[in-house]
Amino acid sequence: MAWVAAVAAMFALHGGIAAAHAFLDEADPRVGSSVRTAPTELVLRFTQDLEPAFSTVTVADASGQRVDAGKPSFSGNLIRVPLRALGAGRYRVTWRVLSVDTHSTEGAFSFGVDTP
Amino acid sequence: MNAFHRVLTGAIVLVACAQANAHCVVGARFFPATLTIDDPCVADELAFPTIASFKNGDDPSTRQFDVAAEFSKRITDKLGVSIGTAWTQLSPAGASRADGFQNLEASLKYQFLTDAARETVMSGALVVEFGHTGSSKVGAESFSAYTPTLYLGQGFGGLPDSMNMARPLAFTGQLGYAIPSKSSVTSFDPDSGDTITELNPRFLTYGGSLQYSMPYLKANVADLGLPDFFNRLVPIVEFQFQTPVANYHGSGIGTTGTVSPGVIWVGKYFQVGVEAIIPVNRASGTGVGVIAQLHLYLDDLFPNGIGKPIFSGSTASAKSPLGN
Repeated sequence: MAWVAAVAAMFALHGGIAAAHAFLDEADPRVGSSVRTAPTELVLRFTQDLEPAFSTVTVADASGQRVDAGKPSFSGNLIRVPLRALGAGRYRVTWRVLSVDTHSTEGAFSFGVDTP
Repeated sequence: MNAFHRVLTGAIVLVACAQANAHCVVGARFFPATLTIDDPCVADELAFPTIASFKNGDDPSTRQFDVAAEFSKRITDKLGVSIGTAWTQLSPAGASRADGFQNLEASLKYQFLTDAARETVMSGALVVEFGHTGSSKVGAESFSAYTPTLYLGQGFGGLPDSMNMARPLAFTGQLGYAIPSKSSVTSFDPDSGDTITELNPRFLTYGGSLQYSMPYLKANVADLGLPDFFNRLVPIVEFQFQTPVANYHGSGIGTTGTVSPGVIWVGKYFQVGVEAIIPVNRASGTGVGVIAQLHLYLDDLFPNGIGKPIFSGSTASAKSPLGN
């Protein structure tokens, strides 16, 4: 039947021929988590490869002060953001990315650093 | 039951299937395509198949089985068209089966508000059911119906941190006014020899969905470390109603509708949804039916081909928060 063929084609495409929106797949520190040791970098992994020129990440503390240090580095679907020395508190990550096929997405989340 | 009313109630899922569309990203919010109502974006998508089985509002109630399809295409980033139909099989108790296609239905939709920061989106559309394009054996009408409709999508991501776990919630809604092209139809009853005139009422059509996005929870609120399958689920409750508001006096027609709890699984290039169909009263049907749908995101499958707007200098993205 035609729709069976369509489904088969769809699963074939699922293997990577097509491209899709880049959604956040994983973050370190984890989305919404609290960590005991202050991280020195933030790592974001997306579901698609990214266009670095049109992708941005900022990290700010509770007062809105930027705590990301220097330019992020991009590698395929990964973004690494160096961080300043973080004290205890909550931090807000805001990202906007463009996947390699020009679909754009955005999001934001928080993580915390506990007092040691 | 009035024939036009039967189309809007007994064939409630058919109309819904033909309207279900849209891959809808607004800021951090992704609104999945809903099964029994339309969602508030324009998109390049194919919903096929949408399969439904339920007992309709006829008296006596008849088992109805539908297979529907709908194709949606963006003309520009904000303007889109869609066309769809459904094949219906009716299995009345103690009588022979009848099958055939419902009328073709098309819509022209304009997405006039996209507020990424507030996760708000609104669209307006004219939905047209073309009379005489389906089979009268399954209730397809000989006249057309025009339904101007407003759509809204609202994510709750802006809730304060104290309500963090409610931030994955979102609401979508629609409100339309169905106007038949003929105010009445006249038929001849061969048994009595009488001429019968049935009014075709104007209906207010309205519905919505309340959904909880596990993908939103994982990416924007809290990554709970759940297996990937669960992180792609969107539990949802949809509801839709039709209320006659004009040209119905003395017909005995009242409000009908369904409530549909279920779940949608969202993949990279497609989604799969399944929901129960619960009629709100006897005129809406009997028992609990079921609806399931495979929905393909053509804008992701073919971003540089059929998945991009016909008139656009850019590629597939119609909702770029970067303004690209």
